[in-house]
Amino acid sequence: MENIITRRVFIASSLLTGTALFLLPQGAKTSIKIEPFKVIAAVQEVLFPKDLDAPAASEFRATAYLLNVSTHSSFWTDDLNLLVNGAQKLIKKENNFLILNPIEQDAALRDFINNSQKGENWVALLLFYTLEALLSDPLYGGNKNNSGWKWLGHNTGKPQPKKMFAEEVS
Amino acid sequence: MKYDVCIVGTGAGASGVAHTLTEAGIKVVMLERGGFLKEKDFSKDEIAYCKRDIITPNLKESYHTIEALENRKWVKTPTYVTESSFFNGNIVGGSSNFMSGYFHRLKPVDFKLLSTYGAIKGANIVDWVIDYDELEPYFEKVERLVGVSGEVTPYKYHEPRSTKDFPYPPLDEHPISKLIDKSCKKLGFVPYKTPRAILSKPKDERANCYYSNYCGSYPCASGAKGSARASLLQPALKTGKLSIITHAFVKKLVEKNSKVIEAIYIDTQTKKEHRIKADIFVVAGQAVESSRLLLNSKSKNFPNGLANNAGQVGKNLLFSAGGVGSGLFDKNSMPLNELMKEGLFVNRSLCDWYEVDKMKGGVVDFLFEHANPISRASKQRWDGSKLLWGKELQDKIFNKFTTTKQLNFEVFNDWLPTDNCFVSVDEKYKDVYGVPVANIRRGAHPHDLKVAELLAQKAEEVLEEMGAKNIRSSMSSYPPANLQAGGCRFGDNPKTSVLNKHCQAHEVSNLFVSDGSFMPTGGSVTYTWTIYANSFRVGDYIVQNREEWIN
Repeated sequence: MENIITRRVFIASSLLTGTALFLLPQGAKTSIKIEPFKVIAAVQEVLFPKDLDAPAASEFRATAYLLNVSTHSSFWTDDLNLLVNGAQKLIKKENNFLILNPIEQDAALRDFINNSQKGENWVALLLFYTLEALLSDPLYGGNKNNSGWKWLGHNTGKPQPKKMFAEEVS
Repeated sequence: MKYDVCIVGTGAGASGVAHTLTEAGIKVVMLERGGFLKEKDFSKDEIAYCKRDIITPNLKESYHTIEALENRKWVKTPTYVTESSFFNGNIVGGSSNFMSGYFHRLKPVDFKLLSTYGAIKGANIVDWVIDYDELEPYFEKVERLVGVSGEVTPYKYHEPRSTKDFPYPPLDEHPISKLIDKSCKKLGFVPYKTPRAILSKPKDERANCYYSNYCGSYPCASGAKGSARASLLQPALKTGKLSIITHAFVKKLVEKNSKVIEAIYIDTQTKKEHRIKADIFVVAGQAVESSRLLLNSKSKNFPNGLANNAGQVGKNLLFSAGGVGSGLFDKNSMPLNELMKEGLFVNRSLCDWYEVDKMKGGVVDFLFEHANPISRASKQRWDGSKLLWGKELQDKIFNKFTTTKQLNFEVFNDWLPTDNCFVSVDEKYKDVYGVPVANIRRGAHPHDLKVAELLAQKAEEVLEEMGAKNIRSSMSSYPPANLQAGGCRFGDNPKTSVLNKHCQAHEVSNLFVSDGSFMPTGGSVTYTWTIYANSFRVGDYIVQNREEWIN
C-alpha cells in the first residue's frame, strides 16, 4: 500500500510583478525547484500565445493556476512529477529555451516532441492544465477577469463556487 | 445507542426505505461515506465536480480493480493506475445528486425476459419474482415524491400507468426538439418526451428548475433535481426519527446466530473505528460497494462473506449496455441565435425499438453535449493523433464554441448477466483502512453490442434527417461506472439468489439490500427510477412486518 499513499507536496507561491517566487514553508516534505516552473510558464505561453482576441497564458495566469491547484490533495502527484520532469528534460535539450524568441520556442518545442512519445505526452498534459486555467472559475487563480469565458462568449453556470474544491460553505 | 434500523448508504436505494420507515415512526440511522453538502454549498464548478476526485474517495485512499481479458487471461488493474474512478457521488444523497435524471420506468417485458425471449447461450437470464403490476404503485409514488416532470406520449411499447399523466408538466424545450420531431415524423419514428426527475414547478421547500445549463454531473442548487437528499432525506430528517452519520465508511457487518448485530465503520476524518447496533440492517451502497461489504463481512457461519453460502454474492453484476453518438449542428441547420440558446432541454427519446428483430431492444435518449467548457476545449487538443497548440488550437476551440452545437445520443439496452461479470474481493488489493477493495470483472456478452449497434443506427438516421454533420457513434462493452445493478439478485431459490422477493437475505433474516443489487436483469433504461420504486417497496414490507424484528 505504501507506494500508493499520497506524498503531499507543499508549495507556497506568490507571484510578484510577473516573476515567480516560491517560498517553501518550514517542514515541507518535498521541495519544488523554481527553474522548472519558469520553463513551464514559457512553454504555456507558446501553447497559448496572445492572439487577436484570445488571451495569452500569462494573461489568464496559467502558471499561477497550476501552482495553486497542484498543492491540493486532489491533484495527481504523478502529474506534478511528470510536469516538472518534462520541463527539466526540455531545458536539458534546449539550454537556451528561456531566451529564444516565440517563433524559435515554438520550433524548439515541436522538435522536442518529434519522435518522442514522452515529450508529446508532457506537452499534452501541460496543455490540459493550461486549458483548465483558461476556463475554470477565477476562484482557482486562472481565467483572470473571466478572460477565457469572455473570449469564447461562454456563460458559466450559476451559482459560481464560493469555495474551491466543493468545500462546505459556512 | 441502539437504533431500530441501520441503513448503509444514503442514495436512491437507501432513501426510499428511510423515508417510508421514519414516516411510520421507526428510528433510523444512515451511514454515509462522504459529507453532507446542501443547496447552499452547491455550485457549477467544473473543477470540483468533474475534474477531480472530490466527491468520491481519493484513489490513493480507496479504489477498485477492473479485471479485463488480456491475451485470454483475466488481468486486474487498479483504478489508481488508469486514473479513472469507479466511485459515484459519495455525499448524502449519493450519485442521485449528480444524475441527469432521464427517467424511464421498466416495462412489463423487463420482468419476464426469459419467458418472453427465451435463453441466450452464455447469459444467465431469468424472470423476476415480481411483475410490473407489483412495482407500478411505487413508480407512481416516485413521480409524486421525488418529482417527475413530463407528458405521456403514446407509442407501441408504452407501459401501463395507474395515473393519466405526470404530476409535473414538461420542462421548457430547446428549439431543436421540434426539428427532432419533424425528422422522426418523416422517418416514421415516434419521438417520446423524456420524463425527467426535475421539478418544473416548486414542491414544498424545493424550487423549480432554473435552467442553469449545467445539469448532469452537477448538484442542483435549487433542489429541483430529484436527488435522494433533496426529495426524501431532507423531509425524513424533519420527522425527528432519522440520524445521518457522515464520513462513515462501513467496513464490516458483524453476524451472530445468522443475524446482523452491528456495523463497524471508520470515521474517515478521525480514522477511528465505531460500532452501531440495530434490529435491522439495510445495505444500499450502490451495487458494487454493497457486494463488497457483504463479501468482506466474513464470519464462522459465513466464511465466504455474509449471506454468501451459496456463492451468489457479487455474481451477475449488471451495467447498462449501449454507448454514445453525436452530430454537429451549425447556422445551416437553424438560425444561430436559436441553436445557441442555453439551458433549455432536448428531452426526446426513441423507444420504438424496445423490441427489435424479435429480440429485446432498448432506448435512445437525445441530449446536448454538456456545457463543461474545460472538457470541450480539451477534446480539441487532438486532430486525430496530431497534437495541436498555438493559433491552430485557438482557432479550433473558438469555432467549436461559437459556431457549432453538438447533439448527442445515448443508447441504453440490456447488459446481459454472465459468469464473467461480477464483484469479488482479493486480499492483495486493500484500501488505506486495510479493507479489500472491490474487483470488477467486466466481461460482456457479445449480444449486448449487437443490439446497441442496431439502436445506434436508428439514432444516426434521425441525426442525418436533421441535417447534422460529423455523425458518429461508438457502442462499447466497457461498463459505465454510473449505471450499476445486480450482484445480489433476488429470487425464490436460495441456491441461485441472495435475496428473496422482499430483498431480504435468504440466509440472514434481518438483512436487506435495497439498492439496484437485487435486479436479476437490468432492463433497457437507466436504473434510478426502478431503484427508487423498489426502495419504497422494501420500506413498505419492513413497516408492515416490523414486529418480526423490532422490539
